Amino acid sequence: MSDQKNLFSSSRRQLLKGLGLVSIFPAISACAATGTSKASAGRVVVIGGGFGGATAAKYIKRGNPAIDVTLVEPNKTFYTCPFSNLVLAGERQLDSIGHNYDELQQVYGVKVVHALAQDIDPVAKRVSLSDGQSLQYDKLLLSPGIDMRWNAIEGYDEAAAELAPHAWKAGPQTLILRQQLEAMEDGDTFIMSVPGNPFRCPPGPYERASLVAHYLKQHKPRSKILILDGKDNFSKQGLFTAGWQAHYGDMIEWVSLSNDGRVVRVDAANKEVETEFGTRHKAAALNIIPPQKAGFIADRAGVTDQSGWVPVNPVTFESTQVKDIYVVGDATVAAPMPKSGFAANAQGKVAASAIVAAFAGITPLDPVWANTCYSLINPDYGISVADVYRVQDSQIIAVEGAGGLSAADASDNIRRSEAAYAVGWYNAISQDTWGTKL
Amino acid sequence: MIRSILPHKHTLHKLLLVTFFAGATSFVHAEEISSAQVKLIAGTCANCHGTDGKLAGAIPAIAGRPSTVLEAQLLAYKQGLQPNTTVMDRIAKGFSDAELSALADYFANINKD
Ligand SMILES: Cc1cc2nc3c(=O)[nH]c(=O)nc-3n(C[C@H](O)[C@H](O)[C@H](O)COP(=O)(O)OP(=O)(O)OC[C@H]3O[C@@H](n4cnc5c(N)ncnc54)[C@H](O)[C@@H]3O)c2cc1C
Repeated sequence: MSDQKNLFSSSRRQLLKGLGLVSIFPAISACAATGTSKASAGRVVVIGGGFGGATAAKYIKRGNPAIDVTLVEPNKTFYTCPFSNLVLAGERQLDSIGHNYDELQQVYGVKVVHALAQDIDPVAKRVSLSDGQSLQYDKLLLSPGIDMRWNAIEGYDEAAAELAPHAWKAGPQTLILRQQLEAMEDGDTFIMSVPGNPFRCPPGPYERASLVAHYLKQHKPRSKILILDGKDNFSKQGLFTAGWQAHYGDMIEWVSLSNDGRVVRVDAANKEVETEFGTRHKAAALNIIPPQKAGFIADRAGVTDQSGWVPVNPVTFESTQVKDIYVVGDATVAAPMPKSGFAANAQGKVAASAIVAAFAGITPLDPVWANTCYSLINPDYGISVADVYRVQDSQIIAVEGAGGLSAADASDNIRRSEAAYAVGWYNAISQDTWGTKL
Repeated sequence: MIRSILPHKHTLHKLLLVTFFAGATSFVHAEEISSAQVKLIAGTCANCHGTDGKLAGAIPAIAGRPSTVLEAQLLAYKQGLQPNTTVMDRIAKGFSDAELSALADYFANINKD
């Protein structure tokens, strides 16, 4: 590990700084632009106000309020994907999963700019925004989430997504799918196409199938759910399959990759899909979750690799390709950590701590992350997978002996507790990320 | 495998930071892990217990509860001695006893409101 070297050079810098010989904060003059009288300890621009970005902005300010933090996010309200499956099932309103940026600004002093970051010049350290402004940074943090790979499935582009929604970013897409479910007749089929790994929220499609089944069971009990999958196995498979059987009988059918589950063509107007070996399926409600990649701004910053995702130094989440650009959340290659909101938040804290340490000229701390992904089979029946992660030999590893799945033979009481804790988790992570107390 | 977080490479700032760790009772535990390190680890708790462990709901707040109570509870989770546990047993096993003890001190010293 290079930490020994870092420790040496950083303590040497500390020493020189103490003697007044060097300034390690070339950004100090920039504080004039912020309008504050206090000297800035450095300028950070955060792109993306979702789970990773909003958390990082807050925790940088908590770590050192003298750091100037600007968060760039086009939306004034952020709708979470977590619990959007409950909106689909008619169990929640979209409003209840919306969060704003008031607390970040008012309590933590984060500056929020509602615009889209369009380009990044990593040499001049400048971000250009859709409103014509540009922002200078000393450190840049990206948490742009995912973009869809349009046309990776023939016929599935942005226009098609208005007819056969992905609903894999929450908001208007969630409502389109909800309307299609509401318009289904009893006996109709809901089809969901699921991509191969890696993609956002590994258990998400199967929770969606569960909660849609919960809705259909009450209102259209003769209907069917067909999951066409680009994989041969999936997250929490045993628990999901048992839960489906117990609650929904054979309403949900899962077709694996090997059994011709991979969708290769979509006719969105007719709600029809074709799989690899030429089977055609017609739906009344069609949900296409396409293959994904890091949000486009990561490409502009030059931090993605051929996979379309962003490799990072696991200790700091700084890009391995471009200095002073940190990337967290779904956009990164952080396996075995999943692409989850929980993980994005946890990574945001680690990157925030590394940025605060870098401005102070000290070695980054040893990171630790946890993740718990709850899934609801129905609103009173929850299952989960949890893990604790650390860095070993420059790799992220899941700590052996920790983590794992909910017990296969857990009692109904335990399932009910897990469903209640899923709500507790949602409220806590929302509070921790945006400040919304639900 | 849990890598030990004990002294080695952070010895330098551990020495600087340990003096800021609140309360004499915490000192026994705090001497092993820097307060900055504990604060970073504590970030993992906030995802379910709210920022600084203060959010009370289906999942209880942990801020301001006695250190001995928190530590005993965490160790019971880790050792699988707490009946009807859903997830804390799986999580506590990812931390060393020294870390759990330092976390107990950390949250005990946070003002509940
Ligand atoms: C149906 C579903 C259910 C899920 N359930 C769970 C769950 O129960 N638990 C869990 O932990 N995770 C869950 N997830 C996963 C979770 O939503 C993601 O992992 C999480 O959102 C990732 O956070 P992020 O910060 O990487 O991206 P996001 O949260 O998507 O945030 C990215 C933000 O960046 C902004 N942005 C993008 N590009 C730019 C740009 N150029 N300029 C400015 N802003 C930009 C976007 O507007 C967006 O607000 C679920 C996902 C889905 C789809």
